[in-house]
Amino acid sequence: MIAGGLLALGLATAAMAANPALAGRWRYEPTLSTALDGWHKMDLVIALEGTKVAVTHDMLWIRSKVVATNTYDTARAVEAKDYFRVEQRHMAVYPAKGGVTTATAAWIDGDRVLRTEAFTPVEVSQGNVTMRITSEYRVSETGDTLTVIELHSTRNRPLVYVFKKVPAEAAKN
Amino acid sequence: MKKLISFLTLALATALVAPAAEPAATAAPAAKQAWSMNFDLDWTVAGGLPEKALLVSLQGLANRTSPQFYIVHPPQYQWEITGPLFEFYQRKHGVQFTELPTADAALAQFKSAAKGYVVWDKTVGASLNVAFTIAGLEDAVVVSEELIPLVEKHGLKPIDDLRGRYTGQTDDVIYQDAYDKYWARCAKDRIMLMGGHVGAVRMPGMADWGVREKMFFHDLSANPKHTKELALNRRLLSEIEPGGYVFGWHSYGKDTEEQYTTLLSTYGLRMEGLHNLPNLSFNCQFTFTPGFKFTNNHHVAKDAKLTAEPKVYLAFVQSDSIGIGVWTKPGRGKLPFAWQVTMNWTEFSPAALEYFHESATPNDYFIGGLSGPGYMYPNHIPPERFPLLMERANKLMAMLDEHVMEIMDNSAADGNVGNADLTKETVDRYYAAFPNVIGFINGYGPARTRDLRDTRPMISYDYYIDPRRPRAEVAADLNELIALNAKRPYFLLIHVRESNDVNSLVEVTKQLEGPIEIVPVDVFLKLAASNKTYTTRYQDPEEPKHFSGYPKE
Repeated sequence: MIAGGLLALGLATAAMAANPALAGRWRYEPTLSTALDGWHKMDLVIALEGTKVAVTHDMLWIRSKVVATNTYDTARAVEAKDYFRVEQRHMAVYPAKGGVTTATAAWIDGDRVLRTEAFTPVEVSQGNVTMRITSEYRVSETGDTLTVIELHSTRNRPLVYVFKKVPAEAAKN
Repeated sequence: MKKLISFLTLALATALVAPAAEPAATAAPAAKQAWSMNFDLDWTVAGGLPEKALLVSLQGLANRTSPQFYIVHPPQYQWEITGPLFEFYQRKHGVQFTELPTADAALAQFKSAAKGYVVWDKTVGASLNVAFTIAGLEDAVVVSEELIPLVEKHGLKPIDDLRGRYTGQTDDVIYQDAYDKYWARCAKDRIMLMGGHVGAVRMPGMADWGVREKMFFHDLSANPKHTKELALNRRLLSEIEPGGYVFGWHSYGKDTEEQYTTLLSTYGLRMEGLHNLPNLSFNCQFTFTPGFKFTNNHHVAKDAKLTAEPKVYLAFVQSDSIGIGVWTKPGRGKLPFAWQVTMNWTEFSPAALEYFHESATPNDYFIGGLSGPGYMYPNHIPPERFPLLMERANKLMAMLDEHVMEIMDNSAADGNVGNADLTKETVDRYYAAFPNVIGFINGYGPARTRDLRDTRPMISYDYYIDPRRPRAEVAADLNELIALNAKRPYFLLIHVRESNDVNSLVEVTKQLEGPIEIVPVDVFLKLAASNKTYTTRYQDPEEPKHFSGYPKE
């Protein structure tokens, strides 16, 4: 009974899209962030709908634009065939052909922070292996800064990406 | 190459289609007396370019029959070696240089080499290339209008004047006119792609070579969007003799390195750049000093068998040719480094090669490249042209005492990321063409073409060190690769981009985790042959290609 009540409460919380400040377009700030390698620019476009969180990566390399969306669900694990990982593209680490990524998401720390966890197959020179990527999306108190902390199961040094909110009008352009 | 990328070479003294020329065992009759000028870094069209264009055209004429005129560039110039090579010529070849302080002095010294002058139009960029073509054919120096009084002061007469001739015309029209007027008289085994910088700065540092060799100058686009320029470009390339050279570099304002190199490779030609590579007209006239013989710092015999231990083996390779890289930077010799030598330097600039070999430390090891006897993308070389080109590469590698071949094909890549793999057919051709190497290296950025046949592995780069990447992140990247490739031995091949500082790499290696051992690349390949913990892989036809190449004509 208690457990059922907690579950219901949890679902209700998720359904409210715990931190609406996360939604919108965010622009990578290189001077505050871990250096990107193989990308020049990165925007995140985050959309919240019920328990679903869609994180769109809008990437630029020279004149090549890549737009890819990972959709999480705070109510259940999801599987994705084309999960997008912010690659350090000068490393020989590639999405495994035909690989399926399993990802979960949750609101934590009083529903202020979104945490995602993905188990994604990658191809390296010795074959295919699975990388766990745990990310936290933290919005500043003023709502204008998003810090994404990304931890890999295979990397001791976290990747810290800082973004500034793109005003709604500018984001339309 | 990417990009900064850049590949180089020096100059060529013999026809490319000729068999690999054996360097003479003794020095050619060197001009003991020569003249030099010191250039600054001002290549702006509104500033220093016009006088420099005049001087490099004069240099090409002055060096027609003997090496008389050498230009020293500041250390910050992309080609760092003009100063060290200047000293080498004095020390090893006994050349006594007299400095020419001004263009006026240079004209006074060499005016007899020119029959007149041709005026280019500063408002029409392509006119400078047309003027260089005319300069080679008519023995003229190239001037902009404000320099006419200077050359006339030395008695030079007008030969042609391009001012106003091409006003309002597009480059395809201008070069078509030049083709109609001059191509028939130009060299057919080589052509000068004088592209590179565009706009307010232009840097035709290689023009002396094109003038000396009577080449056709152009900067036609290889971009499929520029249909008219591409059509004329293809016509020119189709009329170059088999195995010929495209000297210079693509236009930074029109197309990409990948597009142009793909295009010339489809004709079985080879690139030798960059557009600002200086002094080829001088360098090509020296051979090796008496008794000099290439002896590489091999660390393992060709037929040796090594056994890999359960370790992480790292090897560093510096491509982009050595003259443009980190050779002169502090720290060289502290780590085992392989240096990709553009093999054609044996023909074009033997003194430069001798200089590099002379100053090599025991940790410096030379390998052949890039893809063959010149820079080309092998996935696009016509199969019928491949054996002839690679036969030549084999001869040059033997001459240079090189046991490793480096391959690069960025035709499908996006800059230095993306698809840099070789098709299985291409890999088959290399294994057939190079039975005597100890192995192959592939890539520029990372790639995933890997193989092992008999004792010869083919290993792609697992990592590319961008010189701008913070060293702590480089160390973290390498540690992550070591974690991801958990089987031991793991063979981690690293491409060191030009301008990386070796001292900083030493610091990176101190931060690596695991049972690592840094080995020379020949040892690395021998170890990789002993325990194949890497997959066999070729270019996957389903992988995206940033650029798919050109249709056959």
